[in-house]
This record gives sequence, C-alpha cells and structure tokens, in this order.
Amino acid sequence: MKWLRRWQGLLSQKPLRLAFLGLVISFLVSFPFWASRYWVDVGFYVGLYALLGLGLNIILGEVGLFNLGHAAFWAIGAYTTAILNVRFGIPTLALLPISAVVAAGCAWLVSSPIIHLRGDYLCIVTIALGEIVRLVLINNPGGLTGGPNGVVGIARPVFLGHVIRTPMDFYFLVWAVVILCAIGLRQLQRSRLGRAWNYIREDEIAAEAMGVDVRALKLLAFVVGAALAGLAGNIFAAKMRMVSPDSFTFMESCLMFCIVLLGGMGSIPGTILGAALVVLFPEIFRPVAQYRLLFFGLALAATMYFRPGGLWPRRRTAEILVGQTER
Amino acid sequence: MLTFLQQLLNGLTIGSFYAFVALGYSLVYAILKLINFAHGDLFGLGAYIGYTVFVYAFGVVGTVLGLWGLLAAGFVAAALGTAAAGLIIERVAYRPIYPIGRLPAVVSALGMAIFLSNFIMAVWGPRYLAYQEHFIPTGFWQIGEFRIRVLQVLILLSSLVLLGILYLVVEKTTFGAAVRAVALDRETAALMGIDFLKVIRFAFAVGPALGAIAGVFVGMYYRQINFTMGWVYGLKAFTATILGGIGNIPGAMVGGVLLGLLEALTAGYISAAWKDVFVFAALMLMLIFRPTGLLGEKVAEKV
Amino acid sequence: MKWIIGLSVVLALCGWAQPILVGFQGPLTGPWAVEGDWALKSVQIAVEIVNARGGILGRPVQLVVEDDGGTPKGGTLAAQKLIAAGVKFVVGTYGSMVCMPSSELYEEEGVVHINYGCTRVDLSARGFKYYFRTSGRDDSQARFFVEYVIPLFGAKRIAVMHDNTAYALGVAEDVLRFMKPLLDEGKVELVYYDAIMPGERDYTPALTALRDAKPDIWYYTGYYPEWALLLRQGKDLGLDWKKIKAVGSNACPISEAVKIAGLDAVVGAMITQEPLPAFLVEKYPLAKEFVEAYEAKYGPIHDSPWATYAADAIFTLAFAIEATRSLDPAVVAKYLRSGQVIGEGITGPLSFSPEGDRLGVPYMLLICTEEGKSALFDPAVHGHLVGM
Repeated sequence: MKWLRRWQGLLSQKPLRLAFLGLVISFLVSFPFWASRYWVDVGFYVGLYALLGLGLNIILGEVGLFNLGHAAFWAIGAYTTAILNVRFGIPTLALLPISAVVAAGCAWLVSSPIIHLRGDYLCIVTIALGEIVRLVLINNPGGLTGGPNGVVGIARPVFLGHVIRTPMDFYFLVWAVVILCAIGLRQLQRSRLGRAWNYIREDEIAAEAMGVDVRALKLLAFVVGAALAGLAGNIFAAKMRMVSPDSFTFMESCLMFCIVLLGGMGSIPGTILGAALVVLFPEIFRPVAQYRLLFFGLALAATMYFRPGGLWPRRRTAEILVGQTER
Repeated sequence: MLTFLQQLLNGLTIGSFYAFVALGYSLVYAILKLINFAHGDLFGLGAYIGYTVFVYAFGVVGTVLGLWGLLAAGFVAAALGTAAAGLIIERVAYRPIYPIGRLPAVVSALGMAIFLSNFIMAVWGPRYLAYQEHFIPTGFWQIGEFRIRVLQVLILLSSLVLLGILYLVVEKTTFGAAVRAVALDRETAALMGIDFLKVIRFAFAVGPALGAIAGVFVGMYYRQINFTMGWVYGLKAFTATILGGIGNIPGAMVGGVLLGLLEALTAGYISAAWKDVFVFAALMLMLIFRPTGLLGEKVAEKV
Repeated sequence: MKWIIGLSVVLALCGWAQPILVGFQGPLTGPWAVEGDWALKSVQIAVEIVNARGGILGRPVQLVVEDDGGTPKGGTLAAQKLIAAGVKFVVGTYGSMVCMPSSELYEEEGVVHINYGCTRVDLSARGFKYYFRTSGRDDSQARFFVEYVIPLFGAKRIAVMHDNTAYALGVAEDVLRFMKPLLDEGKVELVYYDAIMPGERDYTPALTALRDAKPDIWYYTGYYPEWALLLRQGKDLGLDWKKIKAVGSNACPISEAVKIAGLDAVVGAMITQEPLPAFLVEKYPLAKEFVEAYEAKYGPIHDSPWATYAADAIFTLAFAIEATRSLDPAVVAKYLRSGQVIGEGITGPLSFSPEGDRLGVPYMLLICTEEGKSALFDPAVHGHLVGM
C-alpha cells in the first residue's frame, strides 16, 4: 500500500497534479459517450453519493462531529422538491437552490439545541433525528408527504429549454454540481474558516480558548453540510420522479458515514473515491445475486483493514492519525 | 388499570431484551470506545443458532434431557457459538484497525454488520423461521384478567440474574478491576501490567453471548426470527445504551428497561404509529438536558 | 439445396436458434428477499415449461436476472442493466414504489414490462404503452372485502388496521372508500381504524384498543409477519377469533402465519386472497403442470400469489409473442392492450385493459382449517370455526 502514498506524493508537484486533474476530467466528461447507459447510471449514483459524502465530510471530516443521520437532510431536500413541484408547479431545477436552503434551515433549527453534545452522544441524537424524520414522513402529517406512498409525478427538470431526462443528462447535471461544490469546498478548506473547523476537530477546548466561536462554527458546518444534502435530494427526486420514505433509511446514513471514512476524513478527492466504492461494490458483485451484500460487507471491512486512514487521506491529517490511539 | 399492568409487564419484557443487547454495546464501548454495529447482528446469529439446535437436536437431546434440557442446550450452544463469532470478528475485523483510530473501526463494524446479516440469509435462507410450539414453555398464570406467561418470568429472572452476576464480576473481582482500569485508561492500565487483550476478549465473548441469549428469548417470545432482525434491535439497544449512560452496566440495564416501558406506554396511550417518534424525541430531550445519559458520570473535560 | 434448409430447420428446433432474452427484476436481497426468491424460482419453472414446449417462435427463452434489493434506487439500476443487456421483455418487480421509477425507464426504451407484485392503483394511470400487470390492484381486493365478506357475516361493527406501508394503506383507504355508502346509510359502523408499525414485535397495545372497540370483523391489511404476531398476541390477550372475525389481506399467507403464531391462534382466521396455485390445480391444466414441475424441483409450492403472477407474466409473453409472431415490443404491447383473452395461464384467462391492468382478477376468501391448511371458505363446512 506504499504505492498509494508515493502516488499522492507525486501529485504534490504542480505540473503532475494538473496533468492528473486533466486526465480525471477528460475521463469524467467522455465517460457517458462510450459507456453503456447502465454504467452511466452507476456514474450518476457515484456523483449523487459523492455530493452526499461531501456534505457529511464537512460535518464529520472537517469538524469531527459524528453525524449518523445525514439521510434526514437528504430526505428534506427531496421532499421539498417533490412537494413544491407537485403542489405548486415550481420548476424542478429552480427548486435546486430552494431545496438546499430548506435543508440548511432545518439543519440549523434541529441542530441548535443539540450542538453542545459531544462525540457519541451527538451521534445517537443524529441517529434519532434521522429516524424521526423518516417516521414523520411515513406518518404523513397534514397529508403533505403522502405517507408510505410518497409523492409521485415530479416534473423533469428543464435547463435552458433542454429537458433533462436521459441517464447522460442526469450524469452531467449531478457531476456539474459535484465539481462546483468541490471547488467551493476546496476554497473553504484553505480559508480561515476551514482552519478554524480543523482546529475544533483537533482540540475543541484550545480552539475556544483561542477565541474561535466553536458553537457558531459547528452550526455552520451542519448548515453547509445539510445544504449539499439538500442539493442531492433535489437531483434524486428529479431523477426518480417520485420520493418515498424507504429511500432514506438509517442504512443510507451509515453508508454516507462509510464514504467519508473510506475516502479519508476531510479529503475531497477521497470522499469522491469513497462514494465510487460504496456505489460500485454492490454493482461489481451483481453476478452473485443474492450474496452480493455479503461481499459488500466484507469489502468495507477489508478496505479499512488495508487503508485505515482512508483511500486518499488528506496529507496533513494522515500524519497526525498514524500511531495515534485515541480519536 | 388492567391494561396499564399488562403494558407494564410487556414493557419490562421488551426492556429486558434491550438490556441484554445494550450490555454488549456498553462493554465494548467502555473498553475500546467503539460502537460495535455488528453487535445487533450477532444477536440475530444467536437466535438462529438456538433455532438450529432446537430443530435438529429435538429428537436426541429432547428425549434424553426433556424440554428444559433441550432449552438449556440451545441457550448454551447459542451463547458459545455467538461468543466465538464475536471473538473472530474482533480478531479479524477490529484488532488490526482500532490502534489506528476508532472511526475506521466503525466502518469495519458496519461492514461486519452487513456481512453477518447477509451471511445469516445465505445459510438459513431469506424466509422467516418460526420457533415452534413444542420447544417453547407455553404455560401462564392467570390472575383475574391479568395474565403472566412462564416465559416472561423466565426472561425477567434470567436478565436479572445474568446481569447481576456480570455486575458482581466487574465490580467485585480482581479481573473486574482490570476491566474497569482498561475502561478508564487503556495505556496506563497496560503499563500497570494488565493484559489488556484479555480484557478485550472478555468483552467480545461475554457481550455477544448475552446478546445470543436475548436472541433465543426473542425467538421464543415472538416465535419468529428473520435475518434483518438484528439491525432493528441493534438500533434500539444502542439507544438504550446511550439512554442509560454508555459504558456502565447498571446504566445499560436501566436504559433498556426504560426504553421498553417508554415504548409500551406510548404505544398503548398515545399512538402506535407515532410511538418511535416519541421514543426518539424523548431520548433527544433527555440528552439535551443530561448530556451523558441517566447514570452516566460527569466526565471532566480535558484541558 | 433442400437438405440444407431441412438441416437448418432441424438445428433450429434442436435449440440452435438464438435464445429470446427475457429479463427478471426482483428483490433478491433486502427485507423482501423471500418474495424475490419465490418469484425467481416460479419464473424459472415457467421458462422451463415454455422451453419444453419448444420455446417461443421455435426459439428458447433465456432469463436475465437482476436484483433490485427492494429499493427505488436499486430498481432503476437493475432496469438499466437489463436495458443495456438488450432485453426487450421484462418481468418484475415486487413493491409499487420500486416499480415506479423502473417502469418509466422501460417505457422510455420501449421494453414490455409485465409487473407481478405491485397493486398501487395509479401505476396504470400514467398513460404508459408498455406497462402491464398480471396482479390485481389494491381496490379490487378492498371491493371484494366490502361487497362480499362483510355481507357474508352480516357484520355491523368494522375494524380496519393497516401497517402504514404503501400497499396496506392503499387497501385500507379503498375499504373506507367502498364502505362509504354503507357508512352513510348507517348500515355499518367503523369502530376502529389505526396503523401499527411493521418490524415491531409487541402489538399488545394496539390489540388492547381493538378489544375495547368490540368489532364484529377485523380486517388487517399488511404483511404476514405482523399479522401472525397480532393473532398470537391477541389470543394471548384473550381475544376470541370466533367472536371477532379475523380477516387478513392478501400478503398474509396462512401457512406462514401458522408457523409463526402456532395453529391455535390462527385456526378460523381468514384472508382475502388472489387465487393461490394450490387452489388452481383443479381448475386450470397449466396450473397443475406448473405446480408439479415446481414441487419436483424445489419442494412444496409456496403460497405467494405474487410469485404465481410472476410465472404468469412469462406465459403472457409467450402467448402474445406466439399470437403476433413478432418480437417487436410495440406490436406485442399493442396486442396485449386489445382486451381480448390471449390464453389461459396459471391464474386463469389472461387479458388486459387498455391501461395495462389485468382484467377479471378473481379473489377468494380462504380460512385456516383445524389442520392448519388453507381452504376455500365454505359456510357449511367451516362455519363452526368462525362461530357462524
């Protein structure tokens, strides 16, 4: 596994990094033109989970808050799109930012009272949150969410007169959003804000002592992370043209958690790689039909066995993590 | 009043299941600070092993030892088998990973949880399996309209006795002191000459064994098991663990029973459909005002 | 020259011909893996029967199997995989919310999609050209309950319980809809209407409320694991299934309920059911052939109607392609929509409405006998079991 580290080292040289980036982008852009529509759809889900992973990466990877209920924000984004589109006919694509804002607003509301909780106590509260959101959706308050039937008949998004409908359209839609978000997050990582977030993760009390507003910054992380999940919810609802509560289970939250850790905490390329893994593993094991999840479970554990710091750890983080016992 | 008593009894029974499973979470957490997501599925595995013993050993053991002998054999086999599975999982999936960080171990635990439930499906099939009438004690006592089943008493008694024994072991013996020392500070304990691997093995054998006993009881009580049951119970038991305060034995017990009662009473008096919403909301409220659980100790913050 | 043609005909008959690919999409993993397993086995048996008769248009049928895990997302991936494999005819899947996004993909690609386990009413209201289902709809069952079962027992106080899943809620709401005239006239009274949580293990609270409502008849719409527990725990609570007629919906196979709840709790309980293979063997020759082949290979036949409908989806395709002598999905779909009976399958005559719904899905009321078997309810024979 040394080669991966060496590989990462190589990429720190700028020309090589640019060449590699060019290679990746040309692969991403050309992929739907030579792959079958099935693989394009797999590529779409990689993008979708990458978006969800990037959102959780802010909360879990940058600030170190254990969030095992991220699917709740995804669900809120998806249901916002579904309800506003089906009831009021607002165009699906126009709801993209609105879904993000609603998800972010909900995140701010629900995480304000719990943000002071630490570690595993925060973890269980987010699990509870995820379950509450799912159960409320099932119980159909005010006839708004359609209960277990969900909401159906969401209109296809239209972009400059072009109806987004084929797997390829959706592939480009989701990856465009992913790349924009990734660039934005990269800027955030290098900003004062990003450094403050990392400070909280490494030593909360010291950060507070240095004058970092821990509470506000933690809340901000939740809000930004939830906004990304809201974007993913909108795209998911547009793709499926329906939403139902059984898409947003605790298992999905767990998978997002895995994505961040498989990739490497706080690492943007790592998160995208982790998403690829989580989506691809069950697809690769399709030939064994009913045993494919069995292999998926083993693969998750095996990845952590060989790359405990993640596939593409953020370099700074990697050095600190190795040999450390508590964290 | 009658309904209330009946609900109370039901709540206590469900609570005992949660307490059994919560204990496994709590033990592992206390020692490794790891949320062992595979624990719920180990509990499921226990139910399946017990089922297999009951079905296939019914002819042989049942005739030699009678019903109670058969039951004992089932419980022992389930406990041993699941403890072995727990130890294997610890050795293969956790030990190489947890020195590096506890979050990667969480992913490994989730992987093991997915693996275990699908392993159960691969071996025993996707169908619901039924614990049959003839290997379940079916008697009951009737007091007016109030009904207590022998099985319920058995479940309540064994949870009290087993968890009591575990409590005594951890609190009163020398080995228990070692367990507590490792839970408090692993490195210092190791420096003091405590074999900390032994303590870890203890946690990964006893936790799953207790979970397996709960699994067999759940099979007997509800008469059906399926390969996804571990996940649901795991989530609930983990909630119970936190409710009581993670990492201590009476806490797991109190948390389990409290969760069971809360469920039974909200379902009975408010709404069955909204029951889990109330349970989780109560949990959130409790944690907002008492952030370390009911019996959790106030941990001094590091400076 | 003639012998060459002759040889090629012989070769074609021997199975040298290109196989016709037929896709199967179903939940082989996840919580509904049981249904996926049964449906796959049934479909395989149906394909064997078709192939043993010389295939379709002289060509053998080959199954392409994809798992959808019982989730909407898994459904779209499985559908894309089948479409990418060049499949033009698909049988699948179980669960209305899984079916919905996949059926859109099939529709767009012009793939004939025959659904076997989705009963949601509006699935066929989307104006699709390629969507069909061999199963009934939610409301056909509800209608049967209101118009046949309630008068049969002269029930006045009605209790309806569902488990909040898409399917169960649909049936429960349709019962209310069909019952509305009766309610308005005051002929019946709705004394209990509530949901339980599936996956829960303890339903004593709900049952206590049910007991206090004193219904004549209790209709549970939902799945068998919960129904079995309800029957068992109700019995333990002292509810008398002779006074309260316990009727389950069609996802509550009696044999499974007996296994879980024990015979004493289930005897006398009834279900509204699509025709099960075991009751069809005497009526339809194909059913007999199917059940015999299934039992020879996999042991006792399941009693899931959905898996039976999955097998019938294969026969639907076989009949339609033979009749049109065309492998063009558009031609086959147009023919299927004509409303005429295209042949006799396992579950009786196969014909479809222009929307793609199965026409004339028969229902029956089954009862659990003292031996723990399902039997067609006959007041003269089984009346004593339900206190009639």
